[in-house]
Amino acid sequence: MSTYRRLCRSDAAFPPLLARIHGPPDALWLRGHAPVEILSRPAVAVVGARSCSGYGSHVGRVLGRELAAAGVVVVSGLARGIDGEAHRGALEAGGTTIAVLGCGIDKDYPQRHARLAAEIAATGMVVSEYECGVDPAPWRFPARNRIVAGLTRAVVIVEARERSGALITADFALDEGREVFAVPGEITSRLSVGTNELIRLGATPLTKTVDVLEELGLVPTVAKPTTRLTPAAERVLSVVRDASLGLDEIVRASGIDAGAVAAAISELELAGLVGDTAGLFRAAGGS
Amino acid sequence: MLARALTHALVGLDSRAVEVEAHVHTGRVPGFGIVGLADRACQEAKERVRSGITSAELQWPKDRRTTVNLAPAGLRKEGSAFDLPIALAILAASQQLPAEALGGHAFVGELALDGRVRPVHGVLAVAEGARRLGVERLVCPAACAAEAALAGVRPIPVRHLAEAVAYLRGDGEPEPAPPPNGRPRPPFADLADVRGQERGRRALELAAAGAHNVLLAGPPGTGKTMLSHRLPGILPPLTEQQCLEVTRIHSVAGLLEPGRPLVTEPPFRRPHHTSSTAAIVGGGPGPRPGEASLAHRGVLFLDELPEFARPALEALRQPIEDGTVSVARVGGRLIFPAAFQLVGTMNLCPCGGQGDPAADCSCTPQRLAAFRDKLSRALLDRFDLVILMPRSRAAELSAEPSEQSDPVRHRVVEARVRLADACPPMSTGARGLLDRAVERLPLSGRGRARVARVSQTIAALAGAEQIDSEHVAEALSYRPPNEFTPV
Repeated sequence: MSTYRRLCRSDAAFPPLLARIHGPPDALWLRGHAPVEILSRPAVAVVGARSCSGYGSHVGRVLGRELAAAGVVVVSGLARGIDGEAHRGALEAGGTTIAVLGCGIDKDYPQRHARLAAEIAATGMVVSEYECGVDPAPWRFPARNRIVAGLTRAVVIVEARERSGALITADFALDEGREVFAVPGEITSRLSVGTNELIRLGATPLTKTVDVLEELGLVPTVAKPTTRLTPAAERVLSVVRDASLGLDEIVRASGIDAGAVAAAISELELAGLVGDTAGLFRAAGGS
Repeated sequence: MLARALTHALVGLDSRAVEVEAHVHTGRVPGFGIVGLADRACQEAKERVRSGITSAELQWPKDRRTTVNLAPAGLRKEGSAFDLPIALAILAASQQLPAEALGGHAFVGELALDGRVRPVHGVLAVAEGARRLGVERLVCPAACAAEAALAGVRPIPVRHLAEAVAYLRGDGEPEPAPPPNGRPRPPFADLADVRGQERGRRALELAAAGAHNVLLAGPPGTGKTMLSHRLPGILPPLTEQQCLEVTRIHSVAGLLEPGRPLVTEPPFRRPHHTSSTAAIVGGGPGPRPGEASLAHRGVLFLDELPEFARPALEALRQPIEDGTVSVARVGGRLIFPAAFQLVGTMNLCPCGGQGDPAADCSCTPQRLAAFRDKLSRALLDRFDLVILMPRSRAAELSAEPSEQSDPVRHRVVEARVRLADACPPMSTGARGLLDRAVERLPLSGRGRARVARVSQTIAALAGAEQIDSEHVAEALSYRPPNEFTPV
C-alpha cells in the first residue's frame, strides 16, 4: 500500500522553485517513499507528444536515461508517448524521476501506465496538486503543466504538433524564466512543427544531452561501455551510428550476413548500445 | 425382391459402412421412397437414379413400390455419393442384375440425369473403409479411380451407369483409369524473385527448418505477402504417410486436383480475413474440416492477421498447441488433424503509416490500442519468429538477384534431419546470455522457451555441435518487438 503525503506551501520543504511561480499550488500530494528533498533537487522536464514517432520515443528515452545518469531529476507528466519514455529512461539509468499528474495521485492515469507509476513511486515520486479521488479532466492538464515547469530549471520539448500541451509547458517555463530546449525534427513531419517553431522563436535547439547539463552547470558522467563487443557487433554499431537503418540495410552496409547481423544486434541491445523502433535501429545515446 | 449394395458414408474424415437395401415389391400404391436419415441431397437421389436408369436404357420398376433403406438408419447420410449404389441395388432388386454380383464390391458415385457417373468427394476415405472390411473392389467414378487406388483397393472406374451394369453382368471390365499424378505439379513461387529482404529470407529459412510460426509485420508494400508465398517452396517434401494424411483431408473437402489425386507437397492455405470461425477451424452440422485442417502438414497463411475476427484467431490456439481440432456437435465429437505452420502478416497500425519513413501515422492511440489488442498475448506467444519489415529504400529493389529456393530447401532438409536426431547441448556462454536476456529484456517464461527453440534451429542450420551464444543472440532478435508489448 503506497503512502500518500501532503506537502503544504508553508512547509519548509516545499520546493522553492515551485513556490516562486505565478499561482503556485497550495499544497502537493505526494505518492512514494522518497524524501521530500528530491523535489528541490536540480530537475529537468522532458515532455512531448503522446502519439510520438519512433524518433521521438527514442530521443525521449535516451534523454531520460542520460539526464538521470548525470544525477538530474527527470520530471514529466506520465502521459503516453514522450512522457512515458522519459520516465522509463530515467528508471533504466537507476535515476530519480517525478511524475506530475492532472488528477488525484491515487488514479492511475493513463491506465496503461499504472505499472510505470508504481515503479516511479518506488524510487521517485508521483505528485499532484489535486486531492485523492479527483478524476482527470481536460482543463486540469494545462494546470498540471505549470507544476511541471515550476519544479524544473529547464524544460525539454521532444516532439510537439502545432497545438500541443507540451507547448503550454514551454509557455509556463518561459513566463517563469526557466530555460526551454526544443529537439529539432524533420521539417516535413507534423510532429516537429511545434518544436521547430519554438526554435524559430528563440528556444535553444537541443542537439545532445550535454547541452542541458551545461546549462545547469553539471558535468556529465561519461558512461563507457563495459562489455567487450564481438567484431561483428563493432562493425554493426559503426554502421548504425551514421543513420537509423533497417536490418536489411545493415546487412548490405556491413557486408555481414543476416543471421550474424541479428546476433550482433541482440548483443548491442543487451549492452544498451542500440535501440529500435518499428524495425529501424539506432545507436543509443549521442556519439 | 431384395438386393443389397455396400457403400460408405463420410463422418468427418472417416467413413462408416452403409448398406443400401433396395426392395421392389407390389405395393398397393406405386412409388419410390428412401429411408434411413438421408439428407436433402440424398433424397434428391430419387430423381437422378430414376432418370439415370432410364437413360441407360434399363427398366425402371414401373407400377411397383420401391423402398431404399440406408442402414444403419441412425447415421446421418449426406451428399450424392449414394446415387450409384442405390441405382445398382434397385437394378438388382428388379432382377436386371444378378444380385450376387454386387457382393465383394463397394460402390460410390453420383449419377447425372443421362446416366453418367460423376466424381464425388471423399473417395479415399470410402476406399479405406472398404479395405478395412476386406472388400477388394470399389466401383467408383473414373475420375476418382486413381484416388481410390491410393487406399490399396482395386478401383473399377466407371464413366456411365451402363458401364457399371455391363461390368456386374460379367460383360468385361471397363478400361483402367490413368495412373495417379500423371500431371506435373505447377512450380512453386521461387525465392529468387525476392530482391533484398535478407532478414525476411533468413527468417523464412529458419521457419522452414524448425517448423516455426512466423509473424511478419510492417507497412504495406514491403513484401510480407510475397515472402510468405515462398515458404512452401523451401519446405521438405511430405513423407508417404503425410501425403496420405493430407490427401484424405483434401479428398473429403473436394480439393484434389483432377489428374493429381495424391497431394505430395505441403499445402498452402490462405483464408480470407472475413472467414468465420467454423471456416477456419472446421465445423458445420456434419462437421467438415476447416482451413486449419486443410493446411495440415503445410502452411496456414493469415494475411492481415488483425483483420480476422478475434474468436477465429483464438480458436486457432488449440490446433497450434496440439496439432488437432476437435469439433463438438450434437451428433458427437470429431477430431481433425491440424498440424500446420502458421504464417501471419500485419501492419504496425491500422492506417499502415507506422514503420514507413515516408508516411505519418494518423492513428489515434485508442485505435492503435484496439488494433494491437486483436493480437492477444497468448496468440502472439505462439509465434516463434516475429519479423519487422520496415519500408525498403530504392537501393534494395535494385539489389542483386538473390539465391533460389532449391539450395535453401536443401539446407532446410539437412537441418530437419539434424533436429530429428537429438537436441544439441547449450554451451555455458549461451545459457549465460539467455539468463541475461531474461533479466534485461521483457521476456516471459514462454518467451525464453521460444528463444531456446529457435536457437536450436539456428544451430542445426549452421551444422553446429552445440548451441552457442551467437545462436542464442540471433534467436533473441526474433522476439516480439516492443511495439507489440502493451505498455
